[in-house]
Formats: sequence, C-alpha cells, structure tokens
Amino acid sequence: MPKIFIDDRAVEVAEGLTLLQAAESVGIPIPHFCYHPAFPPEGSCRMCLVEIEGLPKLELACSTVVKEGLRVRTMSPKVVEARKSVLEFLLAEHPLDCPICDKAGECKLQDYFEEYGLFKSQFKEAKEKREKKFKLGRNLILDRERCILCTRCVRFLNEITKTEDAGILNRGIHSEVGIFESEFIDNNYSGNLAQICPVGAITDTDFRFKTRVWFLESRESICPLCSRGCNIIMDSHAGYPRTLPTRRVYRVRARQNLDVNFHWICDYGRYGYAYLDEGREDRLVWKKGDRETRLSWDKAAQILSEKIRSLVHLRKNSRIGIVLHTNLTNEELFLADRVFRKGLGVEKLFLADPPPGKGDEFLLTADRTANRRGLQEVGLPVQAPDLKALSGLDLLLIFGHYLAAGTSPSDLKNALEKVETKALFASHKSGLDGLVDFVIPVPVIAEKNGSLTNIDGRVQPFVAGLSFAGDGIAEWRALLDLARELKVEHKYFSRLASPEAIYRALRKEIPFFK
Amino acid sequence: MDIVIAVIKIILALVWFLVLTLYLTWLERKESAVIQDRIGANRANIWKFRFLGLFQPFADAIKMIFKEDFVPAFANKFLHTLAPFLSFFFVAITICAVPFGDTLRLGGRTISLQVLDLNAGLLFILAMLSLGIYGIILSGWASRNRFTLLGGIRGAAQLISYEVALGLSLIGIIMVFPSLSLQSIVRFQGENILGFIPKWGVLLQPLGFVVFFFAALAETKRVPFDMPEGESEIIGFFTEYGGLKWGLFMMTDFMEIIIVSALLTTLFFGGWQVPWLAADGFHWPWGGGRALPHGVVVLLQLLAFNIKIVFFCWLQILIRWTYPRFRYDQVMDLGWKVLIPLSLLNIVGTGIVMGFLK
Amino acid sequence: MIKALGYFLEIIKGGLITVRHFVTNMWFHTLKVLGLKAKRRGAVTIQYPEEKKELAARHRSLHRLLRREDGKPRCVSCLLCVTVCPSECISVEAAEDPDSEIQKVPAKFIIDLSRCCFCGFCVEACPEDAIRMDTGKIEVAEYRRADLIYDLDKLLK
Ligand code: SF4
Ligand code: SF4
Ligand code: SF4
Ligand code: SF4
Ligand code: FES
Repeated sequence: MPKIFIDDRAVEVAEGLTLLQAAESVGIPIPHFCYHPAFPPEGSCRMCLVEIEGLPKLELACSTVVKEGLRVRTMSPKVVEARKSVLEFLLAEHPLDCPICDKAGECKLQDYFEEYGLFKSQFKEAKEKREKKFKLGRNLILDRERCILCTRCVRFLNEITKTEDAGILNRGIHSEVGIFESEFIDNNYSGNLAQICPVGAITDTDFRFKTRVWFLESRESICPLCSRGCNIIMDSHAGYPRTLPTRRVYRVRARQNLDVNFHWICDYGRYGYAYLDEGREDRLVWKKGDRETRLSWDKAAQILSEKIRSLVHLRKNSRIGIVLHTNLTNEELFLADRVFRKGLGVEKLFLADPPPGKGDEFLLTADRTANRRGLQEVGLPVQAPDLKALSGLDLLLIFGHYLAAGTSPSDLKNALEKVETKALFASHKSGLDGLVDFVIPVPVIAEKNGSLTNIDGRVQPFVAGLSFAGDGIAEWRALLDLARELKVEHKYFSRLASPEAIYRALRKEIPFFK
Repeated sequence: MDIVIAVIKIILALVWFLVLTLYLTWLERKESAVIQDRIGANRANIWKFRFLGLFQPFADAIKMIFKEDFVPAFANKFLHTLAPFLSFFFVAITICAVPFGDTLRLGGRTISLQVLDLNAGLLFILAMLSLGIYGIILSGWASRNRFTLLGGIRGAAQLISYEVALGLSLIGIIMVFPSLSLQSIVRFQGENILGFIPKWGVLLQPLGFVVFFFAALAETKRVPFDMPEGESEIIGFFTEYGGLKWGLFMMTDFMEIIIVSALLTTLFFGGWQVPWLAADGFHWPWGGGRALPHGVVVLLQLLAFNIKIVFFCWLQILIRWTYPRFRYDQVMDLGWKVLIPLSLLNIVGTGIVMGFLK
Repeated sequence: MIKALGYFLEIIKGGLITVRHFVTNMWFHTLKVLGLKAKRRGAVTIQYPEEKKELAARHRSLHRLLRREDGKPRCVSCLLCVTVCPSECISVEAAEDPDSEIQKVPAKFIIDLSRCCFCGFCVEACPEDAIRMDTGKIEVAEYRRADLIYDLDKLLK
C-alpha cells in the first residue's frame, strides 16, 4: 500500500490506482471530463491537472499511477490557474446554449465553470459553426458545437458494447465525433451515451426538450423489467411546473453498482417506463352481475376473508387457489407462503408470469420478471396454471394480470366462470378484469418498498420512488390484512408490520437470505 | 287652526332636519376630501349630470333601502329591529324644542318659530339625548354577538360619563340666563354688553362652552370619541346591522351632530340672533340704525341660525377628520377627571362673579 | 397641568393643519369653479377612467412575447421563466424547431394571469429577451377565470 500525500494529507491507497481515483477514495474530488471509471484513462481533456512536488510541469491525475511518497497538490494556485485555462480553451469553441441545452443543471462544464472558471470571455472572434443536430443513433442526437471531444462515447462503444460504431474523425480544429459509413448507433445500450457524455453534446430524443433537469426529483430504485435487477435512478416530476404532466417519470438513469450493472442499464429498461402510467388499475371494485360497486380495501378484505374462512371451516382447503407471479417482492412471496400454504394449508399455488423475451450476453436477461430467483429461494412449490385445475376451485386469488396472456380468452372465461369467487390483485388493466369479482389495484415495484433477488442471487432492497395513488393496496399489506382477518397465527403476523420487519423474519427462517 | 299650524311646523322642522342630515353626509364626504386633497364622491349622476356629487346621498339611500334586511340567526328579532328606531326616534324628537327664529306675524297671528316652546326645553333635549343610549345598548345586546355587546357597553359607559359633564357645564348658562326655555335663553342673548358686544353665551361662559363642546363631541360618538363603534379596529355595537337599519344608526349620528350644533348655537352663540338686529331693524352701536320690514328680519334670523348650525357641523366634521381616536382610559380620564372638575369650577366661578356683580 | 396645556396646544396646532388644507384647497376649487386658472389644483385626484396617469417607463404591465424578424416567436422555450416565476403561473411546452440554430420553440406558452403577481422576474430571467411587460395594459380584468389564461396567440399579439 503506497503512502502518498494529497494536499498535505498522508493517505495510504491501494496499489495501481491513479491519482484521481486515490484522491476520490479519500474524498478529494478532482475535476475531470474524459476520465470515466469504466474505461482506461484517455487524458484528452486536461481538466484533471495536479501539481506533483518535484516535477516541473503539472501532471494528469487521471493517468498518473500512485507511487510511494508522492506529494500531490490539487488546489495550488498553479493548478487552479491551469483549470481556468483549460476551461477557457474548451469554452472558446462552446456555444452559449445552456438555456436550451438539456444537460444544463447537471453539466460538468457548467459546474466547473462556476467553481473554477468565472472569467470574462476574451474571445472576440465568431464561434465555429458546426452541425447541431446530427442524428447519431436511434435515440441520440449529437450537437457537435457542444462536444468537448472527451471520447467517452467512443470508448463506450469500443469497450462496453464493442460495436465500435463511432470515432473521432479528422484532425485539429476539425476533429469531431462521427459514425462510420453513416450507420446509426443502434444497440440495446446506446442510451448510456447520453448519460455518460459529460456535456450536452449527446442528447436523448426520449428526454430531449421535455423538461429541465432541475424540475425533476431523483429517486433510487431497481429496474424490474428483467431479472438482472439493474440499479436505477428515476427522475420524476416533482409537482412543478404545474402543467399536468402526461407522465410521472421523465427519465430513467443507470445507478452505479459494480456488482450488478456497473454504470449501465440497457435501453429496454431505460425507455420502458411507460408502463408506470399507462393502463393502470385505479379503482377497487366489486362486481356482482353487471353492477360495479366501489368499496374500500378494508371492506373487500372482510368479504374475502369471510369466504376463505367458510371454505377452510368446511375443510375445503383444496378448493382454494392462489395465482402468483414473480414480480412480487421476496417479502410478498414469503408472506403468501406463510399465510396460504403454511397457515391455511392451501396447496394449489400457481404461477403466471409474463412471457420471456430475448436476452443478451451483457445485462438484459431473457426472463422478464424481477424476482424468479426470489421465488425459488423462498421455496414456494408452484405449478403452471392449467385451466382444468383452476376450474375446479371455489375461490381464486389472482395476483398479477399475466394469467390473461398465456391462454385463449374464451377458455379462460369458461374456466373462471366455474369458480365461485375470484379476486384479482393487479397493477394494470387486462382481459382478466371482466372475468373476476373483485379488482384490487396494487402498486408496481417502483411504488412500494421491499426487496428483490436478482438472477445471480443478489438480494436488493429498494424503497418507493413514486407514490401510489389508486385506492388499492400493496400486496404485502393485503396479505397481512387477510391474515389478520382470518386470525392465522395472530402472534406471528402481528409483529410483521412493514416490509423491513417481514424481511427480518425472512432472514431468520430461510438460510438463503441470511 | 292652531293644530294645522302645529302640524305644518312639525313637518317643516322634520323636513329641515332630515334634509340637513342627508346633506351632512355629503358635506362629510366632501369636506374630508378637501381636507385630504381629494375630490370626494362625485360620480352619482342623473343623466350624466353630476353636480358636485350632490346626488350621492340619494344613491346611498337607495342602496341602503334595497339591501337585504339581515337579522343574525340568534339575535332577538324584536329588539334587534327596535334598537335603531329607538336611537333614531329619540334624536329626531329633540328638534321640536329648537327655536329656529323669533316670532312670525302672519295675517294677524303670531307664530312662534319653534315647534314647541317647552318651558324646560333644555332639560327635554338632554333627556332625549340620554334616552338614545337605549338604542345603543339594545342593539349591542340584541345582536347576540359578544363584540357588539362589548361595543354597546363601551357606548353606554362613555355616554353616561359625558352626560354628567354635559349637564353640569350647562348649569352656568342657566345661572346667567335664568331660564330653561331655549327660546328665552336666545332672547336673553339679544342684549348687548357695554352697549355693543352681543351678550352671547360664549362670552359669559367661556369655560362652560369649552366643557360643553367636548362633552357634546363625546356624545355624538364620533372620532375621536368613537369608542362604541370604532369600525376600523374595534368592533362596535351596530356590527350586525345592515341596510336601512344600519342607515338609521348612521342618520342618528348625523342628527346628533346637528342637534349638538343647534344647542351650541342656541346656548352660546345667540341662536337666531343677529348682532344688533332687533325686531324692527338694525340698531348700530355707534348710533343710528336701519329699519327693516318684519319679513326680512325673520329671514335674516332664520339665515343666521342656519349659518351658525352649518358652521358648527363643519367644525365637528373637521375635528372628526383631524384627530385620532382616544384610548378608552383616556376617554374616561377626560370625562371624569378633567371635564367634570372643570364644569364644577365653572359653576363656582360663575356663582362668585355673579355674587360680586350683584 | 403644563403638560396638559402642551397637549392642548398640539391639538389646536393639528386642527389648524387640517383647516389650512381645507382653506387652501377650497380656494383653488373655488377658483376653478369660477373659471379662473391657477397653477395648483384643489385635489391631486386623477379622474381615472376618463383621465389616465402616464405609466412610468419601467412599469410592469401585461406580458407580451416578442417575435423574430421572420415573425416566429423569439422564445426558445428554455423554461427559465417557468423556473423563476414565484407564482407558478407560466407553463411552457417545447417543440423541436427545424432550424438547428434555434432548435427549441414553444409549442404551448401559457401565462395564467389569475396567479401572476406582476413581479417581472420572467422578464429578467429570459435569456432571449422574448418576454416583456411593456404593453401598458393594466386593465387586465375578466369575468371568467378562464379568460385570464393567456396562450401563445394572445401573448404574441
Ligand atoms: S453542454 Fe453544458 S455548458 Fe454546454 S450548452 Fe449544454 S449545459 Fe451549457
Ligand atoms: S459527444 Fe460527449 S462523450 Fe462524446 S466526445 Fe463529445 S463530449 Fe465526449
Ligand atoms: S410577472 Fe412574475 S408572477 Fe407574473 S408570470 Fe412573470 S415571473 Fe410569474
Ligand atoms: S425565459 Fe424567455 S426564452 Fe425562455 S421560455 Fe421563457 S420566454 Fe421563452
Ligand atoms: S480526466 Fe484526465 S485528462 Fe480528462
């Protein structure tokens, strides 16, 4: 472990780190544009210059490896002056676009100028005109005036997607980012380019001009669209401007987690947030014949548990069926297991999931549900929902709207018609709505707390990033309420009042979650 | 015939009283405007004919008449309605004791230019003004609103306090003009001191005048003595009134101004007397004179009376638009600790002086 | 006693001030009624609907949006006015402009004047000098709230 001195602070850092990483690890930020932790250093922006004692010139922090006894200064007058000059050079060719630039507000160039620049422009000549709306990829627009040629985008395409679609073309003042043979950048990870571009040169057509970043509220969450469980940040509308937003989430960004998704997410997850607002169930209804009554969850819970209780009382446990899916959290699956299988002796547990898609060899998996591994680890014995088995039931609790997907509507209708009481806990509208007696809206993963187990067996807790507005109830709460109404193991369930408490019980009982 | 004359006199006096009241509201608006470099209400018009806003009182009256007659849900309906009429009535009736002029000889009859020459006219007016307190207390109480009740109580306390000073301050006047009939008091003031100074009450009773003036101002319950109402900050006794009933309270206020002016004029400024004018014409103090026909003399007297009254109305409005409100304790201090001792002093002083002069 | 007399003197002095105002104003009023010219007027009142006060150059009146030479709105829908507006009354929706030099244009631009407090911050914030409050229109009153919602067309007029 080499010992170095950063701003007169003696620190011991790991071997092989660069000065920039070393300084960052002890909490001293060094401004940089081209350095990105995912790539080897490039050294093209010169923003990271620091002073090293004994060396006549300033050195690049991003590409100098630490050595025993180095004495580094990150804020000496010389360094600060150098940063100012670097900014001045960058800005000499930079348009005054901030008001219409989507990056403004989270732009490194802006931030560093505020911190280290603040000079008056000496540049009298007309600025260089360049292409401002170059279609770089499926979702990407490149503004060459704003590009600072940090090559992050080029390196991403070379090292992460390995598609090598783009490069820096031409020399000197004519250098620019370009794509080869006018081919679009079109892969499942291209959305990351807009995120890693340190300035507003690459913008994302999905987000472009929709709002300004300072209106957004950033909440951490987990992407539930495949079983990888990528860590994400959801940027949602925070209530202002007051125009009614058509969507709550404006953008999904990757959140760094070196064990799961590194710095990236796939485009399927990035742009697939429309489901959050589209086709949601919002009314808790009870259908009797063609009459629909709106009622509260408490009332619905009473009616349902009354039915369950009478069936259990008549020892007809085998005529109760539960349909589950694997977008439920670990806690909910665990509760379903405890309440129905262990508590009430219900054996008919089915699993209805969305169909798998095509995976790739990087992040996206073929399984398009978030918690299949969790289901396995909780140990729920589930079977495929075959219609014959369903039709022989008296009471069916359906979680999720996926049952409708796999079967033909008329068969499903015939099968469900034979079941006396059917309750549907679904977040989205589907063909099932018309076939059941109770429709109970539930939140999606982004709207509740809990944990998910990803494909590699990593358990990731998350908290609600959005609020749940419908008059329904989260599944874990619903299961707890049913348990309470049915008086199943009252002492045990009464202690579980939150997803955290459920998770603690889960850890105690199932070794995998330890 | 006497009855007809009496009715005509009553009607004329009331019409005079009400019209003056109506235009006092106009005067108040205009005078306050002129004092404050404004113009004042000038928009009320008939066929675009504005005429200095003289139609404003009618517009106000029409508005008041057509407003909803609102009685709060828990109020005592009867008393709530009765209160403004009581207030109004007791003030309106005082006009019958006010002498507008001397006598008018018409077709062999001698008509006194006064509705009723009561031999205790002064006491009558004071008594009626005191009864006005009932209107205030009733309105405050009948509204069943604790704030109006407080306003009514403040009003009663203030009026009763100043009643004392008001009465005492007049004793001096009664001593120098030994009569309670207002007509005779005015007649006494027709004489001259040393042959050329009109023998007006204010000259004989300067202290009595000052005390009476302040006490009377307090009696009208207007700024700076608007403890009972104080509409801008403290809530007063007629808060729960609107429309015409509220209008009656407002009119009562203005009528009180007129009555106070009439009393001031009658007691201290020679009533309808014009200096050196006798029944047959002017008698200049430096000798000689000018004979005038009877009609002209009566007219001059009426005019003098009206001018004096309007002047005192003007003065009261001026005061109302100049001074800020007293605090409640200050009002009480002024009444009990200043005005009453002063009026007592005045009685004693008058007595001593009169004793010496005898 | 002396103190009380002092108060009394002040009361009289105060009264004289109002009397002075009354007399001088009355004098000028009378001159005017008599048709005589005087430098001063009896009242400072401006007879509003007929007579109007000249607005100061910096007066903030109804908003307007400015146009470019070619008639397109100057606004680039940067939402800075939306950001700065303390009454939250502006809402702008951006659209793509074919001209890559302009890029952003407002598809919708709405000022809800029923919320506006006429602070003028939007004018200060605008980087394009696209919005100004110099129309001189100060009688912005309507019978219906909805009429106070000004959209792009109304603002560009
Ligand atoms: S890239 Fe940054 S500095 Fe450049 S226009 Fe955009 S926000 Fe402004
Ligand atoms: S487009 Fe962005 S990421 Fe690519 S070189 Fe330019 S500034 Fe760097
Ligand atoms: S004047 Fe002020 S309140 Fe009105 S729109 Fe502009 S910023 Fe908003
Ligand atoms: S600040 Fe100016 S350019 Fe930006 S949206 Fe408002 S009016 Fe348009
Ligand atoms: S970060 Fe070191 S040169 Fe760009």
